[in-house]
Amino acid sequence: MSAERPEAVAAVPAARPLSVVLEDIVQEYPAPGGGVTRIIDRVSLRFDEPGINMLLGPSGCGKSTLLHMLGGVRPLGVVSPSAGRVLIDGSECSGPHDDAVMVFQRYANRPDLTVFDNVAFPFRLRLWRERVGEAEWRQRVEDILKAVGLSEKRGLRPAQLSGGQNQRVALARALVLRPRILLMDEPFGALDAQTRDEMQRLLIELHRSWPCLVVFVTHDVTEALVLGDRVIVLSTQPARVADDFRISEPRPRPASWQRARETLALEERVLDQLHQASPGRGQLRVTI
Amino acid sequence: MSDFWNPYAALAARQRRLLGMGAVAALLLLWSLLAVSGLVSATKLPAPWDVLAALAYLGWHEGQSMLLTATLWSVGRLLVAGALVIAIGIPIGIAMGAAPRVNALLSPLVDPFRSAPVVALLPILVMWLGIGETMKIAFLFIGAVVYLIPMVRDAIQAVPQSYWIGARDLGATPWECVQRAVIPMAMPRIADAVIVGFSVMWTYITVAEYVNARQGLGQLIQNARRFSAWDQVFAGIIVIIALALATYQFMVWLKRRLYPWETEQ
Repeated sequence: MSAERPEAVAAVPAARPLSVVLEDIVQEYPAPGGGVTRIIDRVSLRFDEPGINMLLGPSGCGKSTLLHMLGGVRPLGVVSPSAGRVLIDGSECSGPHDDAVMVFQRYANRPDLTVFDNVAFPFRLRLWRERVGEAEWRQRVEDILKAVGLSEKRGLRPAQLSGGQNQRVALARALVLRPRILLMDEPFGALDAQTRDEMQRLLIELHRSWPCLVVFVTHDVTEALVLGDRVIVLSTQPARVADDFRISEPRPRPASWQRARETLALEERVLDQLHQASPGRGQLRVTI
Repeated sequence: MSDFWNPYAALAARQRRLLGMGAVAALLLLWSLLAVSGLVSATKLPAPWDVLAALAYLGWHEGQSMLLTATLWSVGRLLVAGALVIAIGIPIGIAMGAAPRVNALLSPLVDPFRSAPVVALLPILVMWLGIGETMKIAFLFIGAVVYLIPMVRDAIQAVPQSYWIGARDLGATPWECVQRAVIPMAMPRIADAVIVGFSVMWTYITVAEYVNARQGLGQLIQNARRFSAWDQVFAGIIVIIALALATYQFMVWLKRRLYPWETEQ
């Protein structure tokens, strides 16, 4: 990853202040044998500064469902949330929000479009065509392709790229919109260890150029500690907030920090909480 | 021979061509032997060389080509009907695939026709539309569109929901999701539906040209039959098969050029 950042990205003023509030969120799904299963139980969270916020929990704990409520596409066929409110900048949010863009684990890149057209895809939609003029969006696409290191691959299609490169395309498509809220749903979960490392470093770099509010869902304890300004640990079935702490160590956090006694103690504490909150359930990953 | 029973083994182009031509040659040989042996009378089964001669006769005789004129008429009807099938069938199929209410409304009208005896509709079409071009084109249209519409619907519904959700998340309206994400992803399968539609129309062309036959390959065959010129009947059938095959090959080639990404995944 090149250390220099393109000026056009760096020169953009930081995202406007924002506030995202989850208030007493409850999510229930119809249970197979009748009745309901509560998967999220009275979760309240408040995000009011740009930073990387990690939602950490075992797979299947409902953290993705929670993420989708923050301005993403809600699950189809059920009322979401079952109870509670989501407030973005003080007003209730009930569906896709213009200021929030999602990056999925299974990259939603279009196999029929080139890298350039995949990143430029949002500008085919009326919403973004009205907001951003053609000259500007073209420049933005160029800049973000440069920032994620895909300028040379602009003419290729997703099938001609590696998994990591595909996820760079997905990240670029989200950031080209300069969102105030970036929602990431286990975006690096399907990648191999080395590629995941690279992508984490890229995210750190991009976030420095565009300091938005990132809410990042993961079941990887190490990833949470390496990336997070704030780590929110969720229990499972139902999901409750088990812990919520900040990490002030500047990023990128070197291997020496990752191996330091305090870090290992923190990791121990998180794992303990997860095991207490959800004995024998779900899957966790530690990759130090 | 170790990969004889192996659906994933790729044959060398040369071997594939050799086997294919071998089968055709074997059939021609069997046909020739039957004709020479006298086991089947020449009036019932003309020899291959008689058919070839008939083909030459139809191709050029007394300063005109009956075959070319007939082919142009048939191809013209097929193209007009095909354009209508595409212009009317694809939008209906897309609407059915993308809007469950439209599907619920129209599928009882469309789906049963897939197994309806379309040929039996011919007299009804004649009664309604007369015996002119309108009737012939309407018949081809109905024959193909009843296959195409359900295929287009299925193509739309086969697009993974993730593309719809992805576009929705980026602020697309529901119609924009359909227009910008779902339809482009369904295009290769919609193209398959069009290819099937044209194949179906080639099989129906003789029926369409049966009534009040003035021009066309169907008329050519029917006319020959009336005079028991079986060599010309065979020649006509072979021309239709060849044209149908050429149409198919061309459309498959075109599809691969338009949607090269389909086979990459």
